[in-house]
Amino acid sequence: MVEVEKLREIAREVISRDDVRQLIGYRQGTYGFRARPAFITSPEEVDQLIFSPACVNNLATYLTLEEKLPVPRGQEPDLRKVAVMVKGCDSRALVQQMEEKAYERDRIVVLGIPCTGVVDMDKVEERFPNVLSRGEIALEGDKFILSFDGRREEVPKEELLADKCKRCRYPTPLVYDQLLDQEVARFADDDYSDIVELEKRSAEEKWAYWEEKFSRCIRCYSCRNVCPMCYCEDCVLDRLNPQWMRRSVDLSENTAYHIARAYHLAGRCIQCGECQRVCPVEIPLMELNRKFYKDVEELYDYEPGTDAEAPPLLATFKVDDREDFIL
Amino acid sequence: MAAKKLSKEKVQEALQELTKFRLIAPAKSDEVVIFKQITDPGEAFLDYGNSTVPPKKVVFPQTETLFRFQRGNPELREKNVEEEGTTVIFGLRPCDARAMSIVDRLFSWDFEDPYYLKRRELTTLVGLACNEPPSINCFCTSLGGSPFGKEGLDILLTDMGDHYLVQALTEKGEKLQDILSAHLEDAPAEEEKKAEEMAAQAEGKIARSINTEGIPEKLPTLWEHELWKKASAACLGCGICTFLCPTCHCFDIQDEVEEMGEGRRARMWDSCMFSEYTLHASGHNPRPTRRERTRNRISHKYSYYPKRFEVIACVGCGRCINLCPVNIDILEILEQVVDAS
Repeated sequence: MVEVEKLREIAREVISRDDVRQLIGYRQGTYGFRARPAFITSPEEVDQLIFSPACVNNLATYLTLEEKLPVPRGQEPDLRKVAVMVKGCDSRALVQQMEEKAYERDRIVVLGIPCTGVVDMDKVEERFPNVLSRGEIALEGDKFILSFDGRREEVPKEELLADKCKRCRYPTPLVYDQLLDQEVARFADDDYSDIVELEKRSAEEKWAYWEEKFSRCIRCYSCRNVCPMCYCEDCVLDRLNPQWMRRSVDLSENTAYHIARAYHLAGRCIQCGECQRVCPVEIPLMELNRKFYKDVEELYDYEPGTDAEAPPLLATFKVDDREDFIL
Repeated sequence: MAAKKLSKEKVQEALQELTKFRLIAPAKSDEVVIFKQITDPGEAFLDYGNSTVPPKKVVFPQTETLFRFQRGNPELREKNVEEEGTTVIFGLRPCDARAMSIVDRLFSWDFEDPYYLKRRELTTLVGLACNEPPSINCFCTSLGGSPFGKEGLDILLTDMGDHYLVQALTEKGEKLQDILSAHLEDAPAEEEKKAEEMAAQAEGKIARSINTEGIPEKLPTLWEHELWKKASAACLGCGICTFLCPTCHCFDIQDEVEEMGEGRRARMWDSCMFSEYTLHASGHNPRPTRRERTRNRISHKYSYYPKRFEVIACVGCGRCINLCPVNIDILEILEQVVDAS
């Protein structure tokens, strides 16, 4: 686990640099075990930074989310770098964004966190409901230690670990300027067993399954907005003329929305799982994304967000690409 | 009207009786609790905290047709809300009922919204008191509500263990109580008093609070304050806080062509947190960033609305806090407003 003092020391150095305008990290949340994004602009603010298994957010999203306002006449745009703290999975979002030329490598400073896994906050809150005081979560060996209200609870890691971490291939960031701790070896592999199970279902079973899920979607677009790969300045969903997607919320439009989003992420989703984490009505969106991820790996031996020098999958063509699945 | 009791063994048959109306109750979709129309009483899930999506969607649907049109036919076929029939929302929480009475003021203000108001007229609200605050982020008592609040409700049910205490609060409630009379018995003596004690206990368990005094007047003076930049820095610009808010009521109106030459005019929820919400046809956006949008969300609830309607448009249900993906916390923002100078 990253030592907080070391993290703050490095962050202080980084934010003191003349060529860095902002550092994005984590700080304590407002209640319970929550942690939340922190936006540091001066060395004085560095002491609020933390890292713990509660730091679930993928901060790579903020690199492409910031609104670019016109610069007032007579002023120069602020071209200084943005520094960002990333876990292994989050770092893949940076790699994929750079593969797609969202920005150049020299625009960012990456503080890599070798990650030993984060919690599933829903599981934590189910286990310890109604904790108001700001509690802390730490990992010691194979146990999460939760400290709150003068209590100290130990829970086996497996029971609170986020599902995505159970099959993480890249716990150590794939891109960084500074690594904040020792590298973490791959502690699991992804056998896609969950997706294999889903594939076995009949078309009717799949439809009944997704009908229940999609019918409760409220189209809050949190899945799109939290996604580090959903950074089109002009999203097809927001278009009014022509209007590609109706604003009506019903099963048909909701289904179209989720299928369109899944297709737009094929060969691009880096499996940070943020879409599924934020969904207020618990639609298992990663099942769609993982199905495409599996297909892409099997068909093209390609994993998104692993090589910033390689071209994006859908921008490549090889004469020996498989085409036996094309009708 | 004298208080009654509804034995828990008879809840199913009472609900069965109510299925002759459009009966809406909390039910599970996988593990998510939502309000939906039920025809089988077994679907009702009353042992719940609060629903993810508030029951506002029953009287103010997320998408509703206003009228239909056809090419070559000058007649507009208007939606007749009456056809939806008498509706009973069973088991909603007091905060969500209070939210409806707050939103009523908007929909009956300068223009009387026929769709909303007709639906409200057709709907009877049977509330379920919160013996325990459902969430750590409940703060209804700061806004004049209560876990046992009666405002906006027609009947209040209180879970007394093996039965519910049934208190009719309005004429509509008394009518419904009459309809259910075969399933009700007289409430034990002193039970209403006991419920009052339980209410005081539940209020005491509300963990979070804010003193709202002075906030409506102070907010407009903080227009350019740095707190908005900080409060919105992490905002993703999604619609969770507004769509899941029981008092948020903004909508968009769009024409949708359904088949060749046929279409409808429909309205659907909109969110002031979406960038497109204030986007002008010229391309100019008067709320260009999440800073202005966050400022608007808080100011609308805590300043503009009370200025016009004399009530804060927030009931303290805590949904926007519980479900925000980046832990933006309205109580923290309000505390900063109070402390700001």
